[in-house]
Amino acid sequence: MNVVSQISTDTSSSFAAQPGPIEQVRYACALGALTSVIAVEGAIPITHCGPGCASKQFHALSGISGYQGGEFHVPSTNIGNKEVIFGGADRLDELITSTLKVMEAELYVVQSGCIPGLVGDDVENLVKGYQRRGVPIVFAETLGYRGTNFTGHETVVKAIIEQYVAKQPAVPKRTGLVNVWALLPYQNPFWRGDLTEIRRILEGIGLEVNILFGPASEGLSEWRAIPSAAVNLVLGPWLGLSIARDLEAAYDQTTLHIPALPVGARATAAFLRKVGDHAGLDRRKVDAFIAREEKTYYHYLRDFAQFYAGCTSQYRLPSEVNIVADSAYALAVAKFLVGDLGLNPGVVVITENPPESERAAIRAAFRDLAPGIDADPLFESDGHKAHAAIRAHPRVGELPIVFGSTWETGIAGEIDAPLVEISYPVTDEVVLSRSYIGYRGALQLIERTYTTVVRQSTEENPEGTAL
Amino acid sequence: MSRKPKQIAIYGKGGIGKSTTTSNISAALVEAGYKVMQFGCDPKADSTTTLRGGEYIPSVLDLLAEKRRVDAREAVFKGFGGIYCVEAGGPAPGVGCAGRGIITAVELLKQQRIFEDLDLDYVIYDVLGDVVCGGFAVPVREGIAEHVFTVSSADFMAIYAANNLFRGIEKFSSSGGALLGGIIANSINTDFQRDIIEDFAKRTSTPIVQYVPRSLTVTQAELSGKTTIEAAPQSEQADVYRALARHIAEHETSKVPTPLSQVELREWSASWAEHIVRMERADRERARAVA
Ligand SMILES: Nc1ncnc2c1ncn2[C@@H]1O[C@H](COP(=O)(O)OP(=O)(O)O)[C@@H](O)[C@H]1O
Ligand SMILES: [Mg+2]
Repeated sequence: MNVVSQISTDTSSSFAAQPGPIEQVRYACALGALTSVIAVEGAIPITHCGPGCASKQFHALSGISGYQGGEFHVPSTNIGNKEVIFGGADRLDELITSTLKVMEAELYVVQSGCIPGLVGDDVENLVKGYQRRGVPIVFAETLGYRGTNFTGHETVVKAIIEQYVAKQPAVPKRTGLVNVWALLPYQNPFWRGDLTEIRRILEGIGLEVNILFGPASEGLSEWRAIPSAAVNLVLGPWLGLSIARDLEAAYDQTTLHIPALPVGARATAAFLRKVGDHAGLDRRKVDAFIAREEKTYYHYLRDFAQFYAGCTSQYRLPSEVNIVADSAYALAVAKFLVGDLGLNPGVVVITENPPESERAAIRAAFRDLAPGIDADPLFESDGHKAHAAIRAHPRVGELPIVFGSTWETGIAGEIDAPLVEISYPVTDEVVLSRSYIGYRGALQLIERTYTTVVRQSTEENPEGTAL
Repeated sequence: MSRKPKQIAIYGKGGIGKSTTTSNISAALVEAGYKVMQFGCDPKADSTTTLRGGEYIPSVLDLLAEKRRVDAREAVFKGFGGIYCVEAGGPAPGVGCAGRGIITAVELLKQQRIFEDLDLDYVIYDVLGDVVCGGFAVPVREGIAEHVFTVSSADFMAIYAANNLFRGIEKFSSSGGALLGGIIANSINTDFQRDIIEDFAKRTSTPIVQYVPRSLTVTQAELSGKTTIEAAPQSEQADVYRALARHIAEHETSKVPTPLSQVELREWSASWAEHIVRMERADRERARAVA
């Protein structure tokens, strides 16, 4: 599994839109990365784009992604024909000045959308003027046609690091401090709970953590401490890798890349040992934490085994896992369901159009989900084609289950499979702090999965379910 | 009952003489009794200055910069002989999108039915002609101008722009866009320049509607803020412009242009360049022989 990631530092140049028309696309445009700014406590985006761009991106990513909601107070230039013709920089200047008067924030992130990119507004220079006057403000060129909200996220993060973090007074190194680059906020409906769990388990083995986004984060004080960290932990197949590479060079840090988010005791223990070793932690302390967590985890799993082993015929427990999700969750869920729960891999569709340069590494990560068992993921952003692949997959004696988005309801019904919603868009789940990662998350994923299985059985057969 | 005016677009590379030529055509047409509007579609907004005694008029986009809703009539000014003068205008150099500006200005006058209300015979668009983006192609797209003429000298760069324009016209020709009327060969004073432009016209099967010599009369007229027709009505140059105006007024059928490909154009210009070098060498040798 020695496939080296080749992501370039310029994320936008590696972006290529899928050619042709596309149905049921499962990501937003680069401007959608304004949700990443909103996910940082104390930061607000200032958007330079056409009317509706900012609010549509936000509501698309927060509303139909588990009804996450969130604080959407985003000033926008709302530019129109006039600014296209004459340039919109003056309008933005006015907006920034007024925003500074009426909105208090620790950091302002100016994001430009399609129009200023096409017309060539010199936003960078404008923002630099404010920076020279000591305003905590940065500029991220999140032109809609230059990438997705995934690449936009990297653009925004790099802008904050280069233009804000780097300008802060120097901070001393802290050997046990780790920067975590993991799930994409909002896009993944479970990011809040997952980041909370990641923080908990990393702290459990004795690390300090900059989790950077969401309710488990301290907000911008964590960002200012980014240079203090010894390690950048990139948790996921590709997102955040190029950020870590930049930081490595700038702050003499190391990068630890773990493509699969750990789900369940086996993966999480391996994960924690790897991180612990990389950070030079005392192995005994790490193992002590793992032991504590496993005691609880396996207690539940032992009890669950009664259900899992005992009522197969009654509930037709699924045997084949099909996944439609972005690469981070697709990989994590595949590893757990195949490696731990013993299902066979069916169709795995990766939906976020990851950079071409990363695909070989992503593919490689799907090998050996269980010893000798591989999945061959399909990179496909088009929902229609994803469904066609699931439909066409031969199944003999398999009971399929689908992990995907609400858009997979139809295809799951067609192949008579229960559907567990794990990926964007999610409208049949209300998600607050639930997590599917780590120890606690794995238990919740099992709960959700088999609740869905049981429900489907009882709905199909309301009379005959009693023991 | 308002008629539909005949709409003509004149394209060409910057500085080649579009505005000078267009203003003289407009002037000759009013002189002949027609009702004419000249519509400058160049961010420089100086198309109509020689129709207004050297004075600049506020452009459609100047008005639009001040307020969201513009009455297009406020952008129409009367010039020499009652010519209606309009300038599209544009953003300051280096900002915004001039192409979008032209689209907006042309749409505004069209929407507000200015051409019909003024009961015009001719609308002549004076358009910056490198057709670098969609905005500059608007006058040749469906429903605006019917005939396009290009002003070109024997300069390679001017011919390059003309050929690009032909490609633009060809592209829109299948969807009801304007067709090519011909070339106005400007500043042609030597046989040699004439040979070059004629050869290009032949290679692209395009008629040359008029040869306009480079003339001091034009410069003098411009310095006094006037067209040649106004400043030197008796001059030979004025008659050239009158003849040109007559050709354009009488022009009925334009056609789909047949531009040269990028490669053909390069080869064509290279062959002329060689020819020039050979001729200069011959000239030098002749001079030496005489001495
Ligand atoms: N036939 C001509 N004889 C003399 N000067 C000319 C002639 N045609 C154009 N010019 C001069 O060339 C310059 C550029 O002409 P102009 O009409 O403004 O070009 P354009 O509108 O294509 O940018 C002006 O100073 C104009 O007087
Ligand atoms: Mg001009």
